[in-house]
Amino acid sequence: MMISKKVDQNKLNISDIFHNTSDLIIHEFETNFGIRAIACYIEGLIDKNLMDRDVLKPLISGLNKPKNIKKIIFVSQVKEMDSMEDIATQLNYGKVALFFEGNNMGYTIELNQWEKRAVEEPNSGAVVRGPKEGFIEDIVTNKSLLRRKIRSSNLIFEDYTLGKQTNTQISLAYIKGIVNENVLKEVRKRLGGIDIDSILESGYIEELIEDSPLSLFTTVSNIEKPDVVAGKILEGRVAIFVDGTPHVLTVPRLIVEGFMTSEDYYLRPYFASFLRILRVISLILTIYLPGVFVALQLYHQEMIPTVLLISMAGAREGVPLPVVLETLLMIIVLSLIKESGLRLPKNFGSTVGIVGALILGESAVRAGIVSGVTIIIVSIVAISEFIIPEMVQSIALYRIIILLLGSFAGLYGITCGFMVITAQIVSIDSFGVPYLWPLAPMDWQGTKKDVFVRAPLWRNIFRPRAIERRNIKRQTPPWGK
Amino acid sequence: MKWNTIFLIVCTMLGIFLIGCWNARELNELGISLVMGLDEEGDDILLTAEVVDPSFTQKDGGSVGQGGPVKYVQGTGCNVFEAFRDVVLKFDRRLFVSHNKVVIIGEDLAKNGVAEHIDELFRDREQRETAHVLIAKGAKAYEVMGISSGLESIPANYISNLIKNIKENPKAMDMNMIENLKHFYHEGHQSIMGVIEKRGIGQIDKMVEETDIQDYELSIIGSAIFDEGSLVGYLNGNDTKALNFIMDRIEGGIITFPTPDSALGSKSEFSSKHRELSSVVIINSKTKNDVKIKDGNVVLSTKIRLRGSIGEVVGNIDISKEENLKQMEKACSKSIEEGIKTAITKVQKQFGLDVFGYGLVFHRKYPKKWMGIKENWDQVFSKADFEVEVKTDIIRTGLINTPVIRKKER
Repeated sequence: MMISKKVDQNKLNISDIFHNTSDLIIHEFETNFGIRAIACYIEGLIDKNLMDRDVLKPLISGLNKPKNIKKIIFVSQVKEMDSMEDIATQLNYGKVALFFEGNNMGYTIELNQWEKRAVEEPNSGAVVRGPKEGFIEDIVTNKSLLRRKIRSSNLIFEDYTLGKQTNTQISLAYIKGIVNENVLKEVRKRLGGIDIDSILESGYIEELIEDSPLSLFTTVSNIEKPDVVAGKILEGRVAIFVDGTPHVLTVPRLIVEGFMTSEDYYLRPYFASFLRILRVISLILTIYLPGVFVALQLYHQEMIPTVLLISMAGAREGVPLPVVLETLLMIIVLSLIKESGLRLPKNFGSTVGIVGALILGESAVRAGIVSGVTIIIVSIVAISEFIIPEMVQSIALYRIIILLLGSFAGLYGITCGFMVITAQIVSIDSFGVPYLWPLAPMDWQGTKKDVFVRAPLWRNIFRPRAIERRNIKRQTPPWGK
Repeated sequence: MKWNTIFLIVCTMLGIFLIGCWNARELNELGISLVMGLDEEGDDILLTAEVVDPSFTQKDGGSVGQGGPVKYVQGTGCNVFEAFRDVVLKFDRRLFVSHNKVVIIGEDLAKNGVAEHIDELFRDREQRETAHVLIAKGAKAYEVMGISSGLESIPANYISNLIKNIKENPKAMDMNMIENLKHFYHEGHQSIMGVIEKRGIGQIDKMVEETDIQDYELSIIGSAIFDEGSLVGYLNGNDTKALNFIMDRIEGGIITFPTPDSALGSKSEFSSKHRELSSVVIINSKTKNDVKIKDGNVVLSTKIRLRGSIGEVVGNIDISKEENLKQMEKACSKSIEEGIKTAITKVQKQFGLDVFGYGLVFHRKYPKKWMGIKENWDQVFSKADFEVEVKTDIIRTGLINTPVIRKKER
């Protein structure tokens, strides 16, 4: 729709486009030189003080011709537009639109300001050492946080708008020269294929672009901290910022990223390696422990050391439920406690903890409903799960499958389950990168430097070569000079 | 591709669901048996099992009855399996024998031949071939079961800890089921088993002037000798130690021998009152057996290489001197040699059975001659000459060099 020379017509048109919504403000005024004008904006998206001081005041006092607008107002971004629809879209992003009598052009002025959360430490991925800032909901702030980590002209943002109703801003971030161009092309292609009405969180994007949508394991990472995103894109990955969420996605994702935290690279290599190994052990424990526990108790009692067997049998005396149901029950109770503690207001959270620990743990054993050994096993499972938070979503179901297999068919069943699930993981690619790299296909260089152990930084000369093969040298080591 | 995956998953899962919950047993349906005793009652087999009552591990629940947290169950039958199934109708939980630590065989049963009764102990999937076998010396198996004079509350642990202690003092024999089976199959090696004996506790009670022998303790000193699966006699502790040496089963222990005269000559003033005996702690020992044919006669030879450290010195000898240490080494070797010679002679004279396994060595070395000789190897063995050679290296002398009673040199 073209812009009319008549201000009144424009006013009608813009109200029409917005269907007379109540938060669209249309301010009529007249300059000292007698030019009638209207300013349109959406309430709450702009800085009214700035508008009054730097736009309205100079306009009213000094505008003689609409063409001179850029000479008169003190705002950095003023754009001339001739399409009513474009202007309407811009209003949604917090711009002010100006129309003048006798001029068939509209002007948009960037004055956006809205309520946003301060940059603070995110709930997930808290660190002892390292930057504590986290992303917030505002994409502009998020981009600036990343730019502050990587001050290079090679850091490139590419903006998209997705979601037919929400018009959500999406931004790709990558480093020219380090990023894998094929991955980048693939990401662009998959984003271009998205045709959905709304994108409320980056989870929408994650689900729509991931490689194996039916797998238990995700092939897209989500990250809340700028230093982590910086680390990822410096290894050749592509980051996807979504407006309205502090969770930034990076692709491609390798399964070993689940064991890594940003702190690994800030702490001493020995301790970091110890933590890595601890996380691998805890992954194995949290998935297999309940299943193996049940399988050993039901089918392979001869494999349990005698003394342990006797005390386990003692603990089971008088417990009414079969051991499978007992373990399953406790896992469900554990999930209940965890979920309720998560969703409740913080003040109630501690209450839930007390109820969970004391009433369900202690009393259930005392009442003889569950055996003490099961409580210990489930507690170990829970604790182990907490140190690999990135993988929680994948392993929660995996654990129950293994538990059921163990109860049906003992260690034989667990082995079968392990094989099927491992085969599935091995078959996954994330944007062309094997999901299990560097373990399968085996890359010894990658494995020994940054998987189970974190080699000292001066040893870590190359970037992961699965992600990008060209230009993988991070540094020239002291002995290479 | 997709259908292939689904097909694969279905096939794998089918394998799991087809076997279902076969053989699943909850822990509280099991009667965990830790010791099993086999006896002969008339023509029947009497099986006694020591079943642990696990509720004793719960502090507030469960009550520990007399005789520790275990119960004894017995069953009779015309063979071992039948006896096992007899238990089922008397005892509420199914016997679970995978954790059997010890199998005790009564003397009567052993004398009449144990070989035909232990087939079940190997054939049953639940039985473990690592269980130790002991012969109840002069008693029924059930008579020694239940005695627990140690600190362990479960008698089975008491017995199995005694067996573990053999590496501190190799005067007893530690044979487990699978080794027994090997002995039954081997030609030229008669089987031997450990021994367990019930005896009254007397010595300790004298200290508190309570002479009543009302309590019993167990002792596993000695070993039992079998002829084609039937018990024929026992060896005492020292002979068992020699047997362990020849069979290369020494993991530790001490050797005691007369202290050699000091190179310095002068005898200690204490020496007349005491027998001067010193000891060497075995660090490790390696035995090589060999059989030679000299002038048509079979000669058995055993070479032992032993490393030890001095454990106790009684006598006036300065072991910081190299030549004195050599003397000690020689005396130690001689003591072992004598012990072994005594044992072989005794076995040759008394039993005429090759319990040492020289026949195996002969079989390997002269396979053709063995074919002619194997029927009467035991006679050949009992007439054979033997030579024993022990080499001792003392590599440590303990914390002090000179014996405490050694006179100061002025």
